[in-house]
Amino acid sequence: MTLVTLRRGALAGRFYLAIGVIVSLILTVALLRTARGTAEFVAVFPLEIPLFASLGSMGGLMLFVGDRSKGVLEYFISYGVRPRTLFVNCLLVTMALTTIVLGGSLAVGLGGYLGAGNPLSTDLENSLLGYTIPMAYASALFASIGGIIWSALSTPRMGLNTPVGLAPILGVAPPVVVLIVAEGVDKAAYYEVTLGATLAFLALVVLLLVASSRLMDRERYLSSM
Amino acid sequence: MLTAPPAVTHSSSPAAVACQGLSSGYRGKRVLEGITFEIREPAIYVVLGPNGAGKTTLFRTMAGVLRPQSGSVSIAGQSVDEQATKDRLHFLSHIDGLPDGLRVEETLRLYGSVEGADEADVERVLRLLEIEPLRERFVSELSAGQKKRVAIARIFLHEREVYLLDEPTANLDPKVASEIRDLILRLSRDRVVLYSSHNLFEAREIGTYVLALKSGKLSLFSRIADLRSTRYVVGVRAAIGEQHLPVANKKGDYYLFELPGPDDVAGLIQELEGKGVRLREVKEMGNPLEDLFAA
Repeated sequence: MTLVTLRRGALAGRFYLAIGVIVSLILTVALLRTARGTAEFVAVFPLEIPLFASLGSMGGLMLFVGDRSKGVLEYFISYGVRPRTLFVNCLLVTMALTTIVLGGSLAVGLGGYLGAGNPLSTDLENSLLGYTIPMAYASALFASIGGIIWSALSTPRMGLNTPVGLAPILGVAPPVVVLIVAEGVDKAAYYEVTLGATLAFLALVVLLLVASSRLMDRERYLSSM
Repeated sequence: MLTAPPAVTHSSSPAAVACQGLSSGYRGKRVLEGITFEIREPAIYVVLGPNGAGKTTLFRTMAGVLRPQSGSVSIAGQSVDEQATKDRLHFLSHIDGLPDGLRVEETLRLYGSVEGADEADVERVLRLLEIEPLRERFVSELSAGQKKRVAIARIFLHEREVYLLDEPTANLDPKVASEIRDLILRLSRDRVVLYSSHNLFEAREIGTYVLALKSGKLSLFSRIADLRSTRYVVGVRAAIGEQHLPVANKKGDYYLFELPGPDDVAGLIQELEGKGVRLREVKEMGNPLEDLFAA
């Protein structure tokens, strides 16, 4: 992935990226101001971030779909670029955009939390490392890979009822489910739920990646125009 | 095997382009069936055929973008799948292949980085295609014709032996289309150019050979000059005596006459002059390439 590709991905999904960054930061700041005690912040903050990291990273999927329909991918293939490299490049763009949203939210959230004199507890550290960060990347990759495969296998159509229109839901839905479930359980079950969801979702992403190498044969990269 | 008629068929060197029993298509659906031909001579080879005949599929398969279902494509004796052949050919798709989010100059630099061209090459093609004034514009802001010019600029970044140009002058105004044709004609002096077009007059003007596709099969590979129309039609414009010409056969300013062949034009002129018609112009109206669509 080159800087040009990353820039194009960010540009393609700029509105999603802006929404992801801004809403995530607003919620982080709101949580910092309203959380009643450190326990509430430690429980809620790690669950919120993956929602917006996934939403903000739609640029990778949009780059793939746009380049495919405009014949850019077949141009690259004709000059010897492997189709799989093009696919992986879009996933790298997805991960880079996820890092932007995630990094901003973590910096502001943790900065505010620690700046207020709160200690970085083991619970918070475990939640961030065991759920927030891996789940943010996993849900973003899930939405991108799912959207890419779906768009490549289906007949092109316009509007919101398309893989690109519906992919954000693919990415946001799992962290929403975890958020609802984890907030209603006790502390011991909280870690089981979040860690279990992370592992299950990472496994799903790996499965999708394996499936994509079979489903995304060379002609799936060609424009149908 | 269909070989371009005047090709140096006894040469021991491999053909510039060779398709052998090529069948190709999408998702198991066969679009091309048993295409076999060889090209050895630098020239423009016009690929003609009605919509759905398989022109784009042929170009994609020859460019290595689409894998053949059976048969093979080789460029200078090497399979098109080999990386080395990628440096021998340029493929211009029927869609522009221009990435979003980049300015014209950045787009050409991106192409240049893929094709091994440098900054000087980018500047040269900006001048060559007269797109310097567009260099700071985003591709998404350009008109269809301007986009096409930027897309075409790509094939002049770096010289190759074989050019696969799928409808390169579609969406261009007549003046720019003519300029592009001139550039391509110059290229074809020492390069093989396969050129698809729906414009039969353009095809006749620019092409030396024609490859006609019909229902996914190669129905003709011939020198265009050797083609004869099944109907030989001439158009006549008169300065005086127009009333003696057949009104029922008028097309635009021309009165049409169907003749057995070019040898009969002199007889027609003599006959009309005998009736008191003073001729201003006599010209051939039919295009033998039309028959390839009608057949």
